Amino acid sequence: MAATVGIVLVSHSAALASGTAELAGQVGGGAVTIAAAGGTDDGRLGTSAAKVESAVRAASAGSGVVIVPDLGSSVLTVRALLADGDLDDVPGGIQLADAPFVEGAVAAVVTAAAGGSLKDVLDAAQEARNARKL
Amino acid sequence: MHASSESADRAAGGAADSAPGGAADSAPGGIAERTITLAGDLHARPAGALSVAAAKFTSSVRLTAGGREADAKSVLAVMQLGAAAGTPVTVSASGPDASGAVDAILAALAAATRTGES
Repeated sequence: MAATVGIVLVSHSAALASGTAELAGQVGGGAVTIAAAGGTDDGRLGTSAAKVESAVRAASAGSGVVIVPDLGSSVLTVRALLADGDLDDVPGGIQLADAPFVEGAVAAVVTAAAGGSLKDVLDAAQEARNARKL
Repeated sequence: MHASSESADRAAGGAADSAPGGAADSAPGGIAERTITLAGDLHARPAGALSVAAAKFTSSVRLTAGGREADAKSVLAVMQLGAAAGTPVTVSASGPDASGAVDAILAALAAATRTGES
């Protein structure tokens, strides 16, 4: 069986990234590698290209990686990193999801746990934009 | 253990998929539906277990509870059902592996809500 798609959660807050990873991991049943990239390199609120890069490496298991960012400026960090090309060798490729952070992370992890493809996982995360809570 | 019923098709999305793989739409395919009463609330972890189980089948699988309906493969939709302990939940599947899908979902639902996880 092919490896599951890896998930990277990029947040301005280390606690938010790791807490969301914990929650999504529990809902998904623990079968997926979820890597958190939260905060700056010196522990402040913000984002770090170095953290995102190492998280992508950690989450990659051969079937691609979906990155879920928390707020718009996380996207800037991820896009700049991807444009550098240093992660072009990640097998299966990398996709950046336009999705709400918690819902997108949970939907992505559950779909990855079920053996979904990179596109399936990306679509599940992005469909979370339409999910209502009430 | 395979209560197939051709209950009124309540699928809202117009499931007009042609049978994949060219399997003659006799044999194991078709429509299956069963109802159980939840032993515990359908919280996040049970919803996750259920959606992971549902995604392994080709058939479309829907849950109905309390007048709401959800695609069982969408964990967020399943959570949004807000189904509490004691609620009857109907699992209906349509497709080539419908019967197996309903069995698997019911097993996942029973196991995940019995433990009282949140």
